[in-house]
Amino acid sequence: MHLPHSTLKQEFVKKWIMGLQRCKFSNKKMSIFERKKAIKLSADTAMASARKGLTCWSRALISNPDRPVPTTTRRASSACKKIVKRSRRIRRTAKCGAARKGQITRSIAQCLVRKRTQILKSLIPGGEFMNEVCLIEETLDYITSLRVQVDVMRSLASASARASEPHN
Amino acid sequence: MESNAGTTETRSNVTVPDGGEVAAFESLQFTDEIHRLISAPATDNASSFTALLELPATQVVELLHSPESVKLIVASAPNVEDFKGSFHFPSNTGLIQKDARFSVFSGEGNNKNEKSNSPEMTSKNSSANLEKAVKSEPAETASSLPLVSDPTVENRNIKRKDREKKVKGSTKKSKTATNERLEDAEKLPYVHVRARRGQATDSHSLAERARREKINARMKLLQELVPGCNKISGTALVLDEIINHVQSLQRQVEFLSMRLATVNPRIDFNLDSLFTPESGSTMDGGNFPSLVTPLMWPDVQVNGYRQQFQHQWHFDTLKQPIWGREEVCNNYVTLENSLLSYDSSANSAATLHANQLKMEL
Repeated sequence: MHLPHSTLKQEFVKKWIMGLQRCKFSNKKMSIFERKKAIKLSADTAMASARKGLTCWSRALISNPDRPVPTTTRRASSACKKIVKRSRRIRRTAKCGAARKGQITRSIAQCLVRKRTQILKSLIPGGEFMNEVCLIEETLDYITSLRVQVDVMRSLASASARASEPHN
Repeated sequence: MESNAGTTETRSNVTVPDGGEVAAFESLQFTDEIHRLISAPATDNASSFTALLELPATQVVELLHSPESVKLIVASAPNVEDFKGSFHFPSNTGLIQKDARFSVFSGEGNNKNEKSNSPEMTSKNSSANLEKAVKSEPAETASSLPLVSDPTVENRNIKRKDREKKVKGSTKKSKTATNERLEDAEKLPYVHVRARRGQATDSHSLAERARREKINARMKLLQELVPGCNKISGTALVLDEIINHVQSLQRQVEFLSMRLATVNPRIDFNLDSLFTPESGSTMDGGNFPSLVTPLMWPDVQVNGYRQQFQHQWHFDTLKQPIWGREEVCNNYVTLENSLLSYDSSANSAATLHANQLKMEL
């Protein structure tokens, strides 16, 4: 881990609050979705800037903050079926020796891995431009940053929920 | 030579424990001599065994004076064959037997610039590999070259359990695989990989293998980070888990931001009111107020980022795809309600959404 959790948290909180206060001045009345969007945007940008430009994903996120929402469908299962069908076809046409089978399984495994790296590249901001080594490093960093973000937001949400309880 | 530079580098990095400092230093000298031995046959292609013996003969006399190495050398018979085998063999086991800390030296002295995770394990592996190497070496009619290079190779390639044979021909390309760790910022200009038996030795495949091993090392780190990935073997499944984890984290961020938007009418959360009731109650949500209280008053140094944020906010107010957002957010509203419903702390917000929940379900 490049940065311990506590300092990253503090950086993130500081910048997030700053961003939110900045937003307050611009628009007085916002709908719930606008607010949600603003919150998320400020959180993401704060998270990315807390990394101080060391990582590729943070720079990509700052330059392009509006990312498409991750869909819940996973196309890997259909890809698996296609690969299995293709491998069966290959096996039927080729004369199977022991070496061929090893080759086929290896190519199947490579296909699977390739599909998954494609998906991972679409998840990580700015991931399409990275090679494999870079991608894995960026994933590591991104996961730690996301965890910090989730922790802070969750604690804020529970704190504000508890704060609003006595008022009702 | 490169290897000598590497060992001197590691020596300067290694911290010597207080007890047995002298012995440790001599052990370092010992490993240094091993490397000198390795580099010596590299220069001359004759690689006769007598040439190998010339160097250690003079140094063994010096080492015999020190009590540390006496038990190393005395254990071996003065026979040439045994000496050939045991010269390298006790060098590591003697260090291991002495202290676990010294095994770090034996591991590190031969590794270029790596800090191994578990010194005992790596040294034991290296000793096990050395035993294998040494016991089979006398059976072979091999020149001294593989014998000398094998122990260092075994020490370096600790992760591989299979035997490494020498490269075909006298191509002393001696590249050994490095144990990668992401936190190590230092990198050699050359990556050292040793070719296995029966594999191509051209530079492309070697570079490919080095790259592959780098990727595998980082995948291991990822496996440790993502919970539940340790038991899974196979790259595709591990990647599956990683993808799921990243997606779930991103979705959590979405939900939480939605929740924050619903709970607070104002966007800056009215933070002052958060702290006065918090002081009495126990905080299970964590240390958010403790995080925020030192940061409430704006610092001077964050002015640099203000420009960035201003740019972002202008950009955001320009485009307001509210209609698009609403369509997508319908899913999140329902899921957000379910999240709120089983969160016992958000009672007040839940009353507002309870009606919506009944409508949805």
